[in-house]
Amino acid sequence: MALLEVSNLSKAFGGLMAVSGLTFSVEQGQLVSIIGPNGAGKTTLFNLLTGIYRPSTGSIVFDGVDITGCKPYQSARHGIGRTFQRTMVFQAETVLDNVTIGQSLHVKTGVWAAIARTRGARREEEKVREKARAILAFVGLADAGERPAGNLTEEAQKRLSIAMVLATDPKLLLLDEPTGGVNLEEIGGLIELVKKVQRSGIAVCLIEHKMRMVMSMSDRIIVLNYGTNIAEGTPAEVASNKEVIKAYLGARRVA
Amino acid sequence: MKIFSPVRIGWSLALILAILLPLVLGEYLTSILLLIAIWSIMAVSLNLLYGYTGQLSLGHSAFLGIGAYALGLIAVKLHIGFWPAFFASTAISGLAGFLIGIPALKLRGPYFVLVTLGFAAIVGVIVLAWVDFTGGANGLAGMPRPNPIPLPWGAELRFDSLRSMYYFTLFFLVLIAAICHRLVHSLIGRTFLAISHDENLAESLGINTMQKKLISFTISAMFSGVAGALYASYNVVISPDLAYFARGMDVLACLIVGGAGTMAGPIVGTFVMTAIPEGLQIVPYLKTLINGIILLLFIIFLPAGITGGFKAFFYRWGHAWKSGKGRNGIA
Amino acid sequence: MLLASGLTIIFGILNVPNFAQGHLYMVAAYLGFYMVMSYATNYWLALVLATFALGILGLIVYFLVFYPIRNAPEVNLFVAAMALLMILEGGALYLFGTETKWFLIPWSRRVLTLGELSLQVQRLIVIAGTVVVMMALWVFIKKTALGAALEATAQHREGALLCGIKVSRISAMAFVVGTALAGIAGVLIGPAVLLMPTMGMGPLLVAFSAIIFGGLGSIAGAVLGALLLGVVESLASGYISATYSLIVVFGIMIVTLLFRPKGLLGREVWRP
Repeated sequence: MALLEVSNLSKAFGGLMAVSGLTFSVEQGQLVSIIGPNGAGKTTLFNLLTGIYRPSTGSIVFDGVDITGCKPYQSARHGIGRTFQRTMVFQAETVLDNVTIGQSLHVKTGVWAAIARTRGARREEEKVREKARAILAFVGLADAGERPAGNLTEEAQKRLSIAMVLATDPKLLLLDEPTGGVNLEEIGGLIELVKKVQRSGIAVCLIEHKMRMVMSMSDRIIVLNYGTNIAEGTPAEVASNKEVIKAYLGARRVA
Repeated sequence: MKIFSPVRIGWSLALILAILLPLVLGEYLTSILLLIAIWSIMAVSLNLLYGYTGQLSLGHSAFLGIGAYALGLIAVKLHIGFWPAFFASTAISGLAGFLIGIPALKLRGPYFVLVTLGFAAIVGVIVLAWVDFTGGANGLAGMPRPNPIPLPWGAELRFDSLRSMYYFTLFFLVLIAAICHRLVHSLIGRTFLAISHDENLAESLGINTMQKKLISFTISAMFSGVAGALYASYNVVISPDLAYFARGMDVLACLIVGGAGTMAGPIVGTFVMTAIPEGLQIVPYLKTLINGIILLLFIIFLPAGITGGFKAFFYRWGHAWKSGKGRNGIA
Repeated sequence: MLLASGLTIIFGILNVPNFAQGHLYMVAAYLGFYMVMSYATNYWLALVLATFALGILGLIVYFLVFYPIRNAPEVNLFVAAMALLMILEGGALYLFGTETKWFLIPWSRRVLTLGELSLQVQRLIVIAGTVVVMMALWVFIKKTALGAALEATAQHREGALLCGIKVSRISAMAFVVGTALAGIAGVLIGPAVLLMPTMGMGPLLVAFSAIIFGGLGSIAGAVLGALLLGVVESLASGYISATYSLIVVFGIMIVTLLFRPKGLLGREVWRP
């Protein structure tokens, strides 16, 4: 059974069909890239998957559970994590705290226990900090713990946002243009990180424009145009697909 | 957290002063201190909601009023003693906070602010108009003082005098401030801060923001209710202007001027905004006007308030000001 | 009908979703105060003057208060608005005292009777005025370039910036229009109701409830909401009492919030 099954998903904003009739699936541990021209509905798709938009039609089944129309925090609790195109971190907090906050959904300490600072509460705090440090090491930010997140470089902030999402213990990670706005030299590092995430067992769904990167990393590629799925398959299949070439008007971006 | 950090020393000094001052000051000044303490409680409660969870509520005067009137009505009309009435009024304020919070917190930004203002106005109107229940413009009299507490060695803690009421209030101020401090520095408190910085991001990380906001709101309302009940007990008489919405704004002004998002802010702000007008003998009428002007100046030029200004000042001088105070949530 | 003031204030909001909130607070307050200004001036002249005065005041406030802090966190703007409200309220209390005043004009006492209904002439004027103003605004927003720019800015600031629209100027203009509208409302409604420093709160709440009820983000919805709520409020005033009618209106808003947060005609407002 696939990890994520999307059936006939569509979203209309007034008269505009941002996404229509989208059907695809993602298997456990796969890396699926979503590509398409600007405005094709990629980010809208992510918003639908994470509950920011309610689908007009269709269903989303994740890990066997129908999560169509659930709220954003619920989709996170089911195991879907997501980063944003515009890097979103808590600028005013330290890097470590950002990841700590990311674990919030797992925190069991209630209000009363928190006020009383029971042993359980203190133990959980320690545990959370430890895990935060581990995650930071995983993404390569081990030394940055105490710095305010706002002071980090763009690339480091992207790593941080990935770390925050990893803290939620997702089964599927939706990355929206993780290498957007990053220097050429730093892209390689981020690509390595994404591969590392995938190797740890988390399925990844990637929105990207950098073709070489997409071709080399993906298990499967889904091509969107005008909100529908115009092609799907392995990188080789998609590259030779006439519809895809037409949609891009032959413009192949080089990564 | 070092034992002798500057922050801890500061707090200890403040506490010692707070305890000792009434012993040397006269009645009038002690009563001012008492009022400052009461309004500080309300400011601290608002700080939890605004400074640390980022929700600007203009409606807490409603909870102040509810706390006061609940105490009064339960104690006077139902002839129940002080302590049960006190706990009941606290619970009722909390409940009111919960009920009001549910619809209100569904809104964001300016809409939320307006709804809370609306609630405050409505409660104010109800209190004034429901004459049979609340005594209308004449208010209620006969608020009880706390019953004497028997002490282990046979003596009694009596609350008839001004000073005893002051210490009673101070006790609650310290208690409530401590609770808020613990809450804010806990993992849940982190969540509140996250919501105050970026609610959408917090939600995308799986945080049930509605629930967390509601918790913050309810606790905040409860503590404001405590402030109201304490006021009622001290003043013996209460009138509808306690629930007038402008009061909530006055307290907010104190909070912001003092510095929202810090533990000391609300207390410092309340002290400054209360003590100075008293010192200058300013007519009560002008109070809101002047508060407004001061607030306006601060929000334009020094939005982080007095404590914020302090911190900035110290940073500039390169002091290792390891602040034990939470994050500066300049909301 | 307070409907008129409600509508006017609503338009203050819809033009510039953020700032106007602060506007709201103040403006409603203004209504009361400037009415007393009619010191033996011809009524219609007073209307024009007040509108101008408020517009200018809006301009001043905008540049002194909201412009300098426009880049600060949103909350700061609300706080500033709140501070303004406090200043106005405090100032009014001080200057005008707490007793209520009557705003009398030559035809204050006249009543028009149509069969069973009797309406104060002033109220008719209010209704007529509202209609006129609404139509003027409609034309302005839909037909002129400036109006289009306003709408664009309200919907998407960055987009408007990219199109070369001078957003700061537009915002200032929106603010001023809003204040001026409040001025009109004030002079129109003033004679129909008692004047107190706190008279702004009622209409403010009604307007706000109307917006929620009619639907966030939809002008048509707000108008519809205002109409419906205005009717409800008038009925409630008649059958129950003026004070409780306000609570009824507010109650409707709360119910809407609980069960249908988008209101009647609302659109999805919340974007990530």
